Formats: sequence, structure tokens, C-alpha cells
Amino acid sequence: MRPGFSPRGGRGGFGDRGGRGRGGFGDRGGRGGFRGGRGGGFRSPGGDGGFRGGRGTPRGGRGGGGRGRGGRGGFRGGSKVTVEPHRHEGVFICRGKEDALVTKNLVVGESVYGEKRINVEEGETKIEYRAWNPFRSKLAAAILGGVDQIHIKPGARVMYLGAASGTTVSHVSDIVGPEGLVYAVEFSHRSGRDLLNVAKKRTNIIPIIEDARHPHKYRMLVGMVDVIFADVAQPDQTRIVAINAHNFLKNGGHFVISIKANCIDSTAAPEAVFAAEVKKMTQENMKPQEQLTLEPYERDHAVVVGIYRPPPKQKK
Amino acid sequence: MLVLFETAAGYAIFKVLNERKLQEVDSLWKEFESPEKANKIVKLKHFEKFQDTTEALAAATALVEGKIGKRLKKVLKKVVAKEAHEELAISDAKLGGVIKDKLSLNCVHSPAVAELMRGIRTQLDGLITGLPPREFAAMSLGLAHSLSRYKLKFSPDKVDTMIVQAISLLDDLDKELNNYIMRCREWYGWHFPELGKIISDNLAYCKSVQRVGDRVNVASTDLSDILPEEVEAEVKTAAEISMGTEVSEEDICNILHLCQQVIEISEYRTQLYDYLKNRMMAIAPNLTILVGELVGARLIAHAGSLLNLAKHPASTVQILGAEKALFRALKSKKDTPKYGLIYHASLVGQTTPKNKGKISRMLASKTALAIRYDALGEDTNAEIGAEHRAKLEARLRHLEERGIRRISGTGKALARTDKYQYKSEVKTFDPSGDSTLPPVSKKRRFEEVEQEEEGEEVTVAMKVKKIKKEPAVEEATAEDVETETPKKKKKKEKHKTPEEEVEEEEAAIIVKVKKEKRAPEEAETVAEAEEEQPKKKKKKDKKQAMTEEAEEEPELPVQVSPSRKARIGSDVAMLYTLCHLALSASFKLSSHCKDLCNCPLGRLPPNEGCPAGPCACWVLTDGLAVPLGSLISEGRL
Repeated sequence: MRPGFSPRGGRGGFGDRGGRGRGGFGDRGGRGGFRGGRGGGFRSPGGDGGFRGGRGTPRGGRGGGGRGRGGRGGFRGGSKVTVEPHRHEGVFICRGKEDALVTKNLVVGESVYGEKRINVEEGETKIEYRAWNPFRSKLAAAILGGVDQIHIKPGARVMYLGAASGTTVSHVSDIVGPEGLVYAVEFSHRSGRDLLNVAKKRTNIIPIIEDARHPHKYRMLVGMVDVIFADVAQPDQTRIVAINAHNFLKNGGHFVISIKANCIDSTAAPEAVFAAEVKKMTQENMKPQEQLTLEPYERDHAVVVGIYRPPPKQKK
Repeated sequence: MLVLFETAAGYAIFKVLNERKLQEVDSLWKEFESPEKANKIVKLKHFEKFQDTTEALAAATALVEGKIGKRLKKVLKKVVAKEAHEELAISDAKLGGVIKDKLSLNCVHSPAVAELMRGIRTQLDGLITGLPPREFAAMSLGLAHSLSRYKLKFSPDKVDTMIVQAISLLDDLDKELNNYIMRCREWYGWHFPELGKIISDNLAYCKSVQRVGDRVNVASTDLSDILPEEVEAEVKTAAEISMGTEVSEEDICNILHLCQQVIEISEYRTQLYDYLKNRMMAIAPNLTILVGELVGARLIAHAGSLLNLAKHPASTVQILGAEKALFRALKSKKDTPKYGLIYHASLVGQTTPKNKGKISRMLASKTALAIRYDALGEDTNAEIGAEHRAKLEARLRHLEERGIRRISGTGKALARTDKYQYKSEVKTFDPSGDSTLPPVSKKRRFEEVEQEEEGEEVTVAMKVKKIKKEPAVEEATAEDVETETPKKKKKKEKHKTPEEEVEEEEAAIIVKVKKEKRAPEEAETVAEAEEEQPKKKKKKDKKQAMTEEAEEEPELPVQVSPSRKARIGSDVAMLYTLCHLALSASFKLSSHCKDLCNCPLGRLPPNEGCPAGPCACWVLTDGLAVPLGSLISEGRL
């Protein structure tokens, strides 16, 4: 068995909150308690209701379920919240009556997909944070699920395959900050239009409207990257990530792949599908390091984090 | 070996200094761990910078399509001039093939090359000196944006989504408008119903209502600009003698709001239609000229986009919109439809029905050409459309004149007219219209009828039961009838008097139905017995059978459906009809019926007033009509 590879299902909490059991957000089922609210220090741009349906009910599939719920963490007006950094760099937790995962807004004053923004004054400076909805974003779900490492940190260069309309891409862009780069690849024209609009505002996003299956078509635009994040939902997604990695991922770079069992093989059991995908990855010189299911935010989804071409262990 | 490396800032040609290292593919990455090491392996030979973003965009699009751009060609030619013998390492195998064809440069693409590219990419800023990394990033970003925008904006002004949305909105508006207008009419009709009948035009109605408001104001309002003179006069007179109810101010207020909405929506609809016409002319002028704006817009909307429509062959364009009919015809191997949405084009509309199919086909082929020209052509002018239309109209005229000048064939073959044939239409009198009886469908043969009589009308039996009393005669005849072959039966029928026939059939049916009524086994035995001994029916058996049957007969519905009657026979049917009438006439049979039924009392057996009691059978015993029931009770049967 590979020691470093520990499948975890729905692990709650964060490493440094051992005492609190299921982690900083109280009960994940209780996240349905995010209620809408207005006023005070929190600007709620037309948002309503909290993370609706967050009562621990697993969502079937990504499309209708997750997207339907507005990514609006509601905060009651007037209540004081504190924002503290998360274990992962660049990610924060907003604590108040309800807790939310937030990222620091790169473009202050703008909401990308109607999410709640939280303004916090730290002494002199005002910092704005945007709430990150785990029902709409697989990465947020993975973070809340307790993934060990996302490898996306400030200053990193990230290649994002399957960028869609740019909702999660915007959060990744927030995390990597102005020093980092996000190459967002999306094939669909309609989503590409929205992605382009997001990229207009954020200069660290490079939009690529191309098929990720042919990385040689956009080789002119991309340099070497540190992390590949893939959320493409295609049956041959491992191959897609592999050829992109061969082209653009540095040695020792990491990959974070979101696998939808239904999409790969709807007849097989999800665990079998995940295992098969992991096997395919190892054949392509991609070493998986951790696997995590996205319960309760998504049903039959898993996230696999691994390293590409790991540097040879120096035997001393 | 040379390496061609494309960047956002320009093309870079590297020379591999140490080709031996390329052999060890797996350890090649070590060579690119640092800029210095990298510089030992490859050296920048030439860097062709893009002058501006337009050039970069052109180069990038060429790259995406796998073609050689002008710039690349220039660069490569320079290289060829210097070192023709060298191989060129490239990232895209397809591009390599093209380069080899055009410039006869040997191109290489292998895993080693891929590793090399990776290495170069890692150390790009180290290898390409003379360009600050910020510029690289900026160019990369700019190029990505322009490339994406180019991809998304496939044709800049030809946004056919506008057309699709506009035509859908037009249809929606029409539907809604119709709803609102109907509602308005109904609502106001409470107050002034005559107005709805007088003014048929919807918009005029709403305008009048809005102008007038309450009915009492009609006389004082001037409607001359909305309605013609006579209509206005009619309205005024109708208002005086209207039978509508009074309504309050608030009600009128709401109705007026609705009318206002209707008028606004109508105006918007006309506006939208103009907008649609303009857009169609701008986006697809040739299509518009050929089929008209509305049909063209519907075609585009049906296909989804102009580009999609351009991909359809002409035959599909011809029947776009008639898919249901098409697949139905294909499934059942019938004729497929000749026209779909194209039917509403003016060219098709103005032809005779015979030629509509031909014209629709011709129009569809020209339309397909026009659509392709609009969707994919560089410069759009409306010449093609006008040309095609002229040609089509000329051909149409030819068709209508029925080839006085034949389109094909020699000049010697003149137009032939059809041979004159007199089709005499002699009408004869159809006697079937005389009879008031339900029609007898002679579809079934008598054998089948006989066989079916087993499972036949309980209703028949019921009726017959009510008719009542079968004397022994009937029984005898019944057995005869029953066991006879169909032919014989017919013969017998012919020979016998109508009465007897009727009796037979009636009895037969009764018996048969009764047979069905009882237990299956009994029925079978009886049937068998009857069949075995065609002529030697023992009365007793029969009687027994009949009694048993009679006892078990449950209540039956009165109705006899016409089809069933047909099966029985028209005579019997007549009997039943008459009996039914008689039934309704308080159980008294007509004299005709009495003769048929042989009922001594001339009455159907009600439970009271008739010595027959509940039993419906009468038996001729010793010359007397005795109720069967009494016979049974006495033990004589």
C-alpha cells in the first residue's frame, strides 16, 4: 500500500482544530443555518438566504443542484465578524453568527457571481472578502472536506482546466494574488464569454477558449505552471490532465483533479471508478497523494491530489 | 538540430548545442534545472518578435489551425537559407508536416523533442534574453484575450442570436396579446356586450374602450379616428340599448389599465417586427430577398443559428419545420412532406397547389445557397439573392404556362393537352336512405355469427326474455335452427315465414345465450348434445336445458347496440326494436308483436298481473299455454 495515499471520506474539520471535532464550521449539516441578512458591515448585493439546503443532504450531480443554490452566505446585519486565516494560505474563514469560507477580493467592490462580500476593517485598512460557496465550487468543498494540501497558494501559477463561467477561477485568482497566474481553459463559447468578462477585471487570469484535449493549440500562451486543477467532467479526463501535465506542468508540480463518478462510468460503483482513475494516473507518471470525497456537498464526487514527476528521493 | 519555439512575444529558434544529451530522454530535465545549464544545451539563434497584437493574433490563429502564418514562413525561410541541412524540432506534428511540404525542411517530433520543449519552457526567460519577463506576461495576456475574443466573435456583426430571440419574442407576444385581448373583450363585455360584436378589430376595440371608459360616455366621445363612420354610429346606438350591467369606477379603471397594456404591447409588437426586418436584412440579406424576413427568421430560429442553418443540405431546408410529418411518413413508408416552413414564403404561396411542391424544391435549393453565402461569405451583398429570385420567378412562369417553351427536350416536342374524356356522372337513387333501421353490416359470415352467438348478447336474451313465452313450437324450431348448418338455416329462413324465422332466431338466440348463461360445462354438453343429434332433439332435453337456463338467467341490460342487432338479423332486430317500444309502452305489445311472441295474454311478464310470475317462459303443453315456472314447480319438468 502506498503510505502517503490515504483515502478519506468526508473528513470533517481542520488539522488544527482537533478539539472541535467536526471543525470550525460547526456541523456541516448546520450550514443550512446561514441566513440572509443585510446591513451593518456587510454589503449583501441582492443576496438572499444562506447556503440553502446545507442540511447535510447530499447533492446529486453538479449542475442543477449545486448551481441552483445561490452562493450567498447571509450575515445578519450589524453582527461583528472576524476573519482569520485558514490553514491553507490565501484562504480565510469568516466567523460570526455563521461561519463561511472566504477569499480576499482582488477586485474590490465587485461580485463575480452574486456572492456575498464581507468588508472588514483592520486598523486603517479596509479589506474585502468574498464568500466561497462549497456547493458551487468543488475546490471549496474539498477545502471544507479537509484536504491536506491544495497547493494553490499566493504567487503560484495555476492551470485551471474546465473553467466554465469563472466562478471558482475567480476565487483561485484571489488566492494566487497579483503575483500568481491562472490559465483558465474553457471550451464552451457561452461560458467562455462569461469567463472573458471575469478575466477582463482580473489581470492574473489568462482566458483560453480552447479544447483542453489539444494543449498544443494553446502552447503559445502558456508557460510552465506549478499546479493543474482539473474539473472537466469528461470520461477521458485523466488523459486530458496527463497531456496537459506533460506539456506544461513542471517537475514536482502538483495536480488537483475532481472526479465525477457518474461522468466516467455511470454503471460502476463510485469507489471502483475512483480507483480506476487513480490507477490511470499512476500510469502517466502522476503520483496520487490523497483522495477525498466531497460529501455532503456533492454526491459521488472525489478529489484526488497528487504530484507529477516527483523529484527522486535523495538517499543519503 | 534547430528548435522552433512559439511564444506570445514572437517566434524563437534555438540551436541544440549538445545533441548527445537528447538521447537520454529521462534525464534531460536535469539539464534545464537552472538557466546556466539550460544555456549550455540550447542557444537562442533567432528571435522574431511580433510587431503588434494583430500580428500576434494572426500567428496564434495560424498556430491553432495548424497552418503556417506569414511571419513564420519568413522566419523559416531565413533559417532555410542559412542551414538547410538541419532538422527542425517542433511541438506540433501536423505543423511539421506542413512545413516539410511547403519549405522542405525536415521536421522532428519525438518524446525527446517534447522533453526539450518542456525544458525550454521552464527556462524561457533565462534563454530568451533581451526581453523583460513583464513584457512576456503582458503580451501573453493580451494575446490570450484577443484570441479568445476572436474565437467567440466568429462573425462580428452577424449576431444571429438577436434574430432567434426576436422571432421567439414575436411569437410569445402574439400569444400573450391574444390572451389579453380575449380577456379584455370578455371583461368589458360584461358591461357592454354589443361592442364586442360590432368592432371586430382587436386594436380598435381596445382603443375605443380606452377612449370611452364607461358606457354612458359613448355618446359624448368622438371615435372617428379609431372607427369608420357607420361603425361609430352603430356603437352609439348600441350603447343606448345595451343590456350590459353597470360597473363601478374601479372596475372601469382596471379594464382601462388592461386596454392600455394591450395597446402598448401591440405597438411594441410592430416595433419589434420592424427591428426584426432590419436585423434580417443586415445579417442575411440574400435569405431575406429569397424567402422574406419572417420565413427567414423562422428558419434561422429553427436551426438554432445561421451557421447551423448553413450546414443543412437543401433538402433539409425544404422540410425544416415538418419533422413530425416527415418521420411519420418515413416510418410508415408513405410519402414524405414536400414543404415545411418554406411553405409560407411568398414564392410558394403564389403558385397553384400542383406546383407548390416543385417550387418549394427549387426555392429550397436556391435558399440553401443564399444561406451559405450569408453565413460564411466574407463580404455580404444582396446580389446573389436578387439573381436567384429572378431566376426562380422566370421558372415559375414557365411552369405556370405549362411548358409552352419546354425547359428540356427538343423543340419538336410540342405541348400536349390531355385527351378529352367525358366522365359521366350518373347518380342513381340510393334506397338505403329510406330505411330508418340501423344499418346492417354484412361483414361477418353466418358461420362466424353462429359461433359468436355463443358469446353473444346477453342483451338479446334479456329482451327476448321480456318478450317472453316460448311455446313448444319455438323450442322445436329452436333446436332445428340451432343445429342446422348456416346454409340450412338460411334456407330454412327463406322457406319459413318471417314469423317463424324470427321465432327461430329469437329462440335460438335465447337458447344460445342461455347456454352461455349457465355453467360452461352444461353449455358444452347441451351444445354437444344438440350438435350430435341434429334432428332428434328430445324436447325434454331441450326443455331441461331451457329451464335450467331460464332459472339462472340474471337481470340483463335492456340496450341492444346496433352492431349486435346487425349480427342477429334484421328481422329479429326489428322485433327487438318493436319490443323495446312496447316495453316502454307499459308492457303492452302491439298486435304484431303479440302474434310473434304467441303470448296468450299479449303481455310481457311483469311480476304483477300476469299468472306467469317471475318466469318468462311459456310452454305449450297439451294445447294450453302454461307458464314454465308452474310446470317446474309441479314437477312435470
